[in-house]
Amino acid sequence: MRKKVIGLIDGQSGNIGSINKAIKDIIKGRPYRLKIIKGHFNYSSFDKIILPGQGAYATLMSNLKKLKIIKPLKEYLENNSSYLGICVGMQILSDWGYEDKITRGLGVISGDIKKFRNKKLIIPHMGWNTINLNNDDTIITNSFDKKDFYFVHSYIFQNIKKSDILAFTLYGQKFPSIVKKGNIYGVQFHPEKSHKHGLNLIKNYILKS
Amino acid sequence: MLKTRIIPCLDVIKNKVVKGVNFKNIRVMGNAVEMAKYYSLSGADELCMLDINASYQNRKTFIKTVEAIAKVINIPLTVGGGVSDLSDITDLLNAGADKVSINSAAVKNPKLIRQASLRHGSQCIVVAIDGKRHKNKMKVVIKGGREITKRELISWAKQVQSMGAGEILMTSMDTDGVQNGFDSNMLKKVTSNVSIPVIASGGVGSLEHFYLGHLTKSTGLLAASVFHSGKYKIKTVKKYLSSKGVPVRT
Repeated sequence: MRKKVIGLIDGQSGNIGSINKAIKDIIKGRPYRLKIIKGHFNYSSFDKIILPGQGAYATLMSNLKKLKIIKPLKEYLENNSSYLGICVGMQILSDWGYEDKITRGLGVISGDIKKFRNKKLIIPHMGWNTINLNNDDTIITNSFDKKDFYFVHSYIFQNIKKSDILAFTLYGQKFPSIVKKGNIYGVQFHPEKSHKHGLNLIKNYILKS
Repeated sequence: MLKTRIIPCLDVIKNKVVKGVNFKNIRVMGNAVEMAKYYSLSGADELCMLDINASYQNRKTFIKTVEAIAKVINIPLTVGGGVSDLSDITDLLNAGADKVSINSAAVKNPKLIRQASLRHGSQCIVVAIDGKRHKNKMKVVIKGGREITKRELISWAKQVQSMGAGEILMTSMDTDGVQNGFDSNMLKKVTSNVSIPVIASGGVGSLEHFYLGHLTKSTGLLAASVFHSGKYKIKTVKKYLSSKGVPVRT
């Protein structure tokens, strides 16, 4: 049987150690193979791609450009292939990012990444907060509803279509904590830092579908 | 709703967790990796570990300990102690720290905060501030409180925020180590003057102290002795806070 290939993109945007270890633990003894993507890749040779990210939108986009990852990643996403973007890896699915400077994103899920509007909030939104699922999903099942995950961010997905929001979280306002379009998922929190529920989410993403 | 974070702090020498009041009478409390694993499993929202004797010889073992801990926990890990320049920060992040805390080096060279946050992102740069009252003023101190600097506490807190710190780890040297409670007055002054998250540190001895810490608008509550000694389990603290209406992760 052919092993399924999971790609983990190292966009030089924070440490990929935790997510790398989480994936390895999950696929141990199962018919999967993990490949770290550090440059141009053949989009058809991956079954799933995970892109973790920390820091700024503009930095991640420019890193991906330098590494020649943008083009194959866009081709991959245009084929509605399976993708999980974490934090900034989720944010760059949008059309535009407004952090530091206005930057064009991958344009897969329409909307913009803008700062929390409420000036009285403690920013960054840092710590554990609850996700509220809008509907049941094959990967992010009802068992994740109302569970806490670890967030650290100052920017959120705005002007997004309701139908692309799988879960929302409250912090001064409602904001999308999970976005989904076809087989493309994005989570604003860090599942790799979110203890057992986080690891279960990564596990479901890899093993289901 | 955002939960108040309960953060056990490990003061580490090489690979051992130690406890000493004002750096005197240092006692070994346990193995750092084992304790980190235990806290991660028992409901800690985050872990903090500090190299309290960051000499050249001890550093290598400490970094190995950070690597070992990062492998066995899956909650955020803040590492500090002995961070003097950008390469120290990079080393700790590469070892698996999610956030790095800088203290004296930032006091001596505030530009380090900006350089570090530009390179790695604000979210992983914590500035640890040690405060102490001196001649009716709140001052920034270094070297475990032995050296009082010229910096005034509140203006320093505002400055570290404007230079890109993602979070402040605020320890009162007037209350640290004596278990009479957090320094509510000092913490409130800081939280009301900055808009980044503040972690309260120094002085927890009872359950009520955690609640009083929450009332200072600190979003993280750090403690060491009450956890290491086994006086309280993290679950006990959370149950208590929850009964007082404080949002916690269960």
